This record gives sequence, C-alpha cells and structure tokens, in this order.
Amino acid sequence: MYLQEIIALVLIAFFVSRLIIQKKKQTIGNNEFALWLFFWLAAALSIAFLKPLDRLVASLGFSASGITLLFYFAVFILFYLLFKLRLSFAKMDRELTTLTREMAILKEEQKNNL
Amino acid sequence: MKIFCVIPAWNEEQNIGEVLEKLNGFVDEVVVIDDCSSDNTSLVAKKHGAIVLRHPINRGQGAALQTGNSYALKNGANIIVHFDADNQFSATEIPSVIAPLLSGEADIVFGSRFLGKKANLPFFKKNVIMPLAKIVNRFIFKIRLSDPQNGFRAMTRASAEKINITNRGFAHNNEIQMKAFALHLRIKEVPITVTYHRFGQKFGGGIRILKDLLISKIIK
Repeated sequence: MYLQEIIALVLIAFFVSRLIIQKKKQTIGNNEFALWLFFWLAAALSIAFLKPLDRLVASLGFSASGITLLFYFAVFILFYLLFKLRLSFAKMDRELTTLTREMAILKEEQKNNL
Repeated sequence: MKIFCVIPAWNEEQNIGEVLEKLNGFVDEVVVIDDCSSDNTSLVAKKHGAIVLRHPINRGQGAALQTGNSYALKNGANIIVHFDADNQFSATEIPSVIAPLLSGEADIVFGSRFLGKKANLPFFKKNVIMPLAKIVNRFIFKIRLSDPQNGFRAMTRASAEKINITNRGFAHNNEIQMKAFALHLRIKEVPITVTYHRFGQKFGGGIRILKDLLISKIIK
C-alpha cells in the first residue's frame, strides 16, 4: 500500500470518527448518519482496492485509471448537487417572497379593520 | 370602473411625492409598494394619499408589482396600471394607455418607447442593449413587441388574475409579456414618453434577466 493511500485512509477514519461523535450528540439523524457512513466506507473501499478497481475500469473499456474515473464521477456528483441546491434556494426564495407579500397585505388589511 | 395604479418603490422619497401629485385625477386608487426602503418613501407616499404596502424585506420590483396586483384584485380593481416611482413616465398618458382596455379592444396594453413618441434613451441603451433584447425576446421567448423592457402597462382584472408574476427581479417585464402571449391575450402597444433621469438597466442587468428567466423555466 502506498503512503498516499495510508494518508487517505487515516483521513477517512478521522471523518468517520467525527461522524460517530455527531451521531452520539444527536446533531444528525439516522438517515443522514447512514448516508455519510456509506459514502466514507465506499471511499475507503475504493482506496483499499485501487488495483482491482483499475482492472475493473480497464475491463469496462475505459482508458482512465480507477482513481481518475472516481474523480470524474465525484465532479459529476458535485455538479449535480450544486444544481439541486441552486433550485432548492430558488424555491425557498420564491416562498420568502410569497410570505413577504402576505405580511404586507395583511398589515394593511389589519390597519383598515381597526 | 375602478382603476388602480400600482407603483413599486425603493428609496424613492425624492420622486414619489411628485409622481403621486401628477397621478391625481387619472386613477381611482394608487398603491405604492415600498420594497423595504431605508429612506422615507412610505411616509412621503402616505402623505400624498397613497395606500402604502411595505415589504418587511427587499424582494425586488417584480415581487412588489405582484403584491400590488394581489392587493388591487382583492379590493375590486377592474383595471390595473403599472407605473414607475422614478418620475420617468407621464401620468397624462394613462388615459391613452387604458383606452384600449376600456373600449374592450385589448386585455393588456404595453407602453412603447419606439412607436413615435419622444424618449431620450441613452445612446448605448438605444443602439446596443435594446436591439439585442429585441432579438432575444423574438427568437427565444417568442415575444413580438416593439419595446422589450417597459414598465408602463395596463391590464384588465381578468388578465391580472391570469398573470401571476413570479420573477421578483427585473425579469418580470419579459415574464408578463411572455405570459400575455402564452395566454393568447389581446395585446396592444401604445406609444409613451419616457424621460430618463438615470441609465436604468445595464448590459449586466440584461444577462441577469436572462438567467432569472431560464431558472424560472426550470422551477414550477
């Protein structure tokens, strides 16, 4: 195992320990804990089995190595999440406008009813 | 026939008083939507007899217009006129803008700076931004109007009920035009005069409008 792989695994172990602490403090729910645990374990497994991953990627006909393909995949996921986040913000923004509108009209109506 | 004038205003204490004075006699009710101004816009507007709705946080011109529309519809408006707070439009032109609505000739009327009347448009705006905006409107949004961005418009109650403005920024102009075409409303353009006191929308603003319109196409 290369030094870089060991460093990556140590870092992942650190993030998993932080995750467990957060779960114990109940700052995250079961589903979120399970999702992040799955993510970090998948990352650890990919690093631990880099060579077999290279062979798998090559057998699928890709010219890139396993780690490069994982990197492309991560960038793709990040872009997708960013897009989802943007849409979710836009939706919240619209709801905020509706709320602001209701408050402004309600205040005027209440004033007229007094 | 109850005619409401809806004016979105943000930090317009210098102009709003004069605008409201000039509107006297042309409409039945004036609703000023103070979009969380930090100056005395609300106070000045109230002093001049307008109904003032205040947004507790700044939401943009499009949001303010829809607030005004919602209020006007709730309070029995038959015709709603959109007007600017910065004293660039002429209140004396309101009768000619609403005339096609009163005669039943149109459902919505858009003011236009390019139908013969005088408008002291800045050179760059007139010769670069506006032609570009016209091309985008025509070929992307299928809007066939002589003026791609004009805040002086009037609509019937039925049209205001159908057009819900969702773009809170300046993209509301295109949104209203797009919806009017999509709903197959009877559209008329009327020449109006515009007196510029400041440049208004810049090129970057146009890009932001495009971005807002594209996002609003994705989010329902």
